[in-house]
Amino acid sequence: MSDHTIGVSVNGERYEREVEGRKLLVHFLRDDLDLTGTHVGCDTGNCGACTVLLDGRAVKSCMLLAVQADGADLTTVEGLAPDGELNTLQRAFSEHHGLQCGYCTPGMLLSATYLLAQNPKPTEEEIRRGIQGNICRCTGYVNIVRAITAASGQ
Amino acid sequence: MSETTIAPTPVELEVGYAGKSIPRKEDGRLVQGQGVFADDVKRHGMGYVHFVRAPYGHARIVSLDVSKAEALEGVYGTLTPDEVAELTDPFFELTTPPGSQIKDYALAVGRVRHIGEPVVAVVAASREVARDAADLVEVEYEPLDVLVDARRAQDEGAPILHDDAGTNVVWSGTFDWGDVDGALKAADRVVKIKELHFDRFSSTPLECSAALVEYDRGTGQFTLHCNHQMPGVAAIWMGPALRVPLDKLRFITQDIGGGFGNKITTHTYLTACCLLARKLRRPIQWTEWRTDQHTANAHGNERWFHDIEVAVQNDGTMLGFKVTALDDCGAFPRYEPLGCIIWAQVTPGLYRWRNIRVDFTQVVTNKSPVAPNRGYSRMQQLWLTERICDIVAHELGLDPVEVRKRNYIRTDEMPYETPNGCVYDSGDYARCLDLALELIDYESARAQQAASNGKLIGIGIGSTLDSGTNNFGQSTLLNPELQFSGNNEVATIKLDIFGEIVLTLGTVPQGQGHETVASQVAADILGVSPDQIHVRPGHDSYWNSHAGFSGTYASQFAVTGLEAVKGATEKLSLEIRRLAGGVLGGADPDDVVLEGGFAKRADNPEAALPFMACGAIVNANNAVLPPELRDITLNCRHVYVPPFTMPDFDRKFGNLTLTYATQIHACVVEIDPETGHVDILDYAAVDDCGIRIHPQIVEGQVHGATAHAIGAALHETFAYDEYGQLLTSNFYDYHVPHALDLPEIKTGHIESPSPFSSLGTKGMGEGGGAAIHAICAAIQDALRRAGKPAIVNDSFNPPERVWRMIQTPEETAALVEVTQQ
Amino acid sequence: MLLSELEYARPESVEDAVKLLSREDARALAGGQSLVNVMKTRVASPELVVDLNRIDGLRGIRAVDGALEIGAMTTYSAIVESAEVAAARPILAEVARTIADVQVRNRGTIGGNVCSNDPTNHFPPLAAALGAELTIAGSDGERTVGAEEFFEGVYLTAVKPGELLTSVRIPAKGGARDGWASVTLGKEGTGIVNVAATVSNGTARIAIGCVAATPVVVTASADETAVADAVRAAELDPPGDVHASAEYRRHLAEVLAARAVGSAT
Repeated sequence: MSDHTIGVSVNGERYEREVEGRKLLVHFLRDDLDLTGTHVGCDTGNCGACTVLLDGRAVKSCMLLAVQADGADLTTVEGLAPDGELNTLQRAFSEHHGLQCGYCTPGMLLSATYLLAQNPKPTEEEIRRGIQGNICRCTGYVNIVRAITAASGQ
Repeated sequence: MSETTIAPTPVELEVGYAGKSIPRKEDGRLVQGQGVFADDVKRHGMGYVHFVRAPYGHARIVSLDVSKAEALEGVYGTLTPDEVAELTDPFFELTTPPGSQIKDYALAVGRVRHIGEPVVAVVAASREVARDAADLVEVEYEPLDVLVDARRAQDEGAPILHDDAGTNVVWSGTFDWGDVDGALKAADRVVKIKELHFDRFSSTPLECSAALVEYDRGTGQFTLHCNHQMPGVAAIWMGPALRVPLDKLRFITQDIGGGFGNKITTHTYLTACCLLARKLRRPIQWTEWRTDQHTANAHGNERWFHDIEVAVQNDGTMLGFKVTALDDCGAFPRYEPLGCIIWAQVTPGLYRWRNIRVDFTQVVTNKSPVAPNRGYSRMQQLWLTERICDIVAHELGLDPVEVRKRNYIRTDEMPYETPNGCVYDSGDYARCLDLALELIDYESARAQQAASNGKLIGIGIGSTLDSGTNNFGQSTLLNPELQFSGNNEVATIKLDIFGEIVLTLGTVPQGQGHETVASQVAADILGVSPDQIHVRPGHDSYWNSHAGFSGTYASQFAVTGLEAVKGATEKLSLEIRRLAGGVLGGADPDDVVLEGGFAKRADNPEAALPFMACGAIVNANNAVLPPELRDITLNCRHVYVPPFTMPDFDRKFGNLTLTYATQIHACVVEIDPETGHVDILDYAAVDDCGIRIHPQIVEGQVHGATAHAIGAALHETFAYDEYGQLLTSNFYDYHVPHALDLPEIKTGHIESPSPFSSLGTKGMGEGGGAAIHAICAAIQDALRRAGKPAIVNDSFNPPERVWRMIQTPEETAALVEVTQQ
Repeated sequence: MLLSELEYARPESVEDAVKLLSREDARALAGGQSLVNVMKTRVASPELVVDLNRIDGLRGIRAVDGALEIGAMTTYSAIVESAEVAAARPILAEVARTIADVQVRNRGTIGGNVCSNDPTNHFPPLAAALGAELTIAGSDGERTVGAEEFFEGVYLTAVKPGELLTSVRIPAKGGARDGWASVTLGKEGTGIVNVAATVSNGTARIAIGCVAATPVVVTASADETAVADAVRAAELDPPGDVHASAEYRRHLAEVLAARAVGSAT
């Protein structure tokens, strides 16, 4: 069994922890750092509920070992409104009823954040492609697409 | 007419937060990742559970050894079937003998009956160690013959799953209303359909089932932080099984990541966790993995329809039908056989035929047990009536739109009593259909269909009903020994010492926005804004008032939940007005109005008491009150009881639901004839759920139900091989539609208020599977127009199935025979 | 979902990686979008996981006289975003863009895709059709293998224990036209059948994926009938599973081969 000391920056705060080599990044975030906003929804890397930003790229944190995040800069849902003031995307999701149960929402917000950073004025097709890796069972995606469109100022 | 009293004139809520799409209270915490879901709950020293599960579809457990697992460093202990059999009694069965002899325990006792069935529980200091230890549990199995086809379940020589019952039949009965044989004789034609199949799938909520269970050794109290969506019913199963009083089972839920009926039958797992918490003297953490949810939690009812005979007139008037229905409920009934009667809430679908016979049998098979999946049992019946309608239309060369309009129950016939005594409260099906056709530009779509080049274009309608607020007396039609009837829901509301208004719900929402909608209703009655109503998030059975049927299921919140909120708030309003009336100089409560957080004399608005003063007087200053006002507590509870009566067992007759929301969908599909791939070009959903308290939430439910049903029609299936292995046991193989798979969903609505709810609302969340009906219709329409008279005989139509229908339409066409009388 | 215990190493050079990969039961971790899944099911539980993500020189795309030299650790996203690819051989980006979803594309690599050689992967048939050349580093230097030789069997390639794929070379497009057609589980999901084609001087070179352990390469003159006939003559024996029967896959191979050729640009 290998234990590794890793240093990770999450939402601007630096953490140093010891982890088993086999620990998944999503469990490190949820269990070791108590950042339970990032969720687990499947066991084959398909649902995207665990999506975070790693060095600016949207990734599924259940498909990474925690040790791989050593030295990286992560953003989780908790980092979107650090002082409790909702950002544009979060407000748009609420205004357009882009969430019902809220379980897919953190991952969805991170994917949307990444999409708009890459492509500030996406078409509907580009939005749908941008959240293709995030499964929602409540909304049918209709209002999520509306929310992201609104957040992009279109 | 069966006895459902009509409520007094619906209350017109003035000013009105009701009817507006106000911001949701739930959103703030959810968009910040601050929701509290069951797996988020942690306790010092907790042990993580991993279940060792059956690798066979059907096998005897020969021997079992946990010693190596227990010896692994970090393992706290295990739970075996022997312990479960000793410490618990089998879960209560709802069905009649011999099915009631089935023994259902928290772990597999003696035999495993479906792949993934939990056999042993291992608890360890970390999830990973629990998983490692599971590999060290040694179980020897003797494989038995596997039964995966419900049609073989009653064959001689079929493997019998439960020796205690001696049969695979859970329940069987005949429902016979009107005069089917007479109708078949009198009809111009009889359309016979040999076999239709409603496939196995489920809503697969994104959050899996989970619980953190604690046991207090001093008080014997179990506390379950979990996501069970019907805790009242969980307690009814678990208390007797665990041999503890129900009050010793405290269920705490907060945020739930989707339920859709898939979080109703997890009492088996919760029971195992309770036993472990007590045995190991530490909190026990269990979270289901996705694969676990697919193999061993809850599927939707799979149903075969055989030997259908439909009596029709040449002009398309449908007089009646008979059918033999065979329901496959998986290895254990659990909530079943309720599915054997719940379809009867919508026996005739949306149509006016009066002569219907259903021979219904439910059997067990070596598959995951079923649970009341979204659209529970009504969806299957409505799919049948819609398939019949389209097949009749096609066989008679009539337009399915015209056949529907000819046969739909008319709005002037509402309230309408169905052949089995259910009362459809209100609705205008023809108008909803017209709206749906307008949204897809039906004329243009037909023109496009005629002009199409190479691709096959089809147009389909799916009509459905969402029956809400059950009469649990329906269960007595299956088993007269059962002591369940009626329904209830609770709410409590108080005006507290600082004038804070606090509302608690008996319901257990999983995204439907109950906190928000309840606050709208309460706000309008108290003359405040919804922001001033603090709705307690989540449900805690220890402190929430709740009733036997409390929970969130069966499309009923807008009636049962809101009636409870309304009743409690009206009681509070009366108390505030009595109090203020007395304090402000002997005014009658009817002469006091509540406005802006004040109780004011109607004749002199300057004479006003702020809510804070009311709360302070009652809670901390009551000596100033005259004796006749000292009964005021400003803490009001209301139990809403819908006006049901017991149904008639002999005739299987009576009103089984209070309200009926309508959804009529229309879609245009394009089929690639070389691959069978179906693309949705246009999609419209029109709903009528009576008065809409929060239109955006209603529309969101319509979107979600449509998405689930499109998934079921084109992408999702729980497929088993002949060994009982589930081939679609995770999200890699079980394809849930993503944002590129689903179309833009156009919506329209009308409001036909319900005469049976005082707010005029109707429950509406489940949706009734309309997209399945519409897509099946559209595929059949496309093929027929292309000269391929195939019959869509299965609810699930992936590309290969559609391709085969194009290659050999005669195969499914052979299922239908039309005879002239 | 939970992995077995493992040892984790993070070499910073190809040389160190090669040494580590010579250990018994060592596996290379590239994008992890396949390997981590496999480890979750415990179908494979390597004792040593060698993370290649910090090795300089394994990433990057270079255009060399119209040909492309793509580092094995280049992600699908990098291929999609690459100006060099867009100029030299855009079919690579067109196909990469349809792999899974954006999160997977941000980590998944071309090297991982060809080395895992799952029959439903995108790059094996594409590499086979385009005539890619793959460079493998071992303890005694480098060697280059053509695509058809590279893919040996189910999950088996020419990369042996103690070796590491370092780059993939895609020949210059020249006057060729490239095409791709597929039927997937849902839109742009797992492949049911996929076909890559390149058309040059009236001849189509077609590589069919999902129908055998390795891509099946067929050549024909570049018209749709000749292509369909050639595929039929190849007498494919595809697997049947819950998503598609063997018969349907065989049929799709013909249809998609014709479409890949017909839509080649």
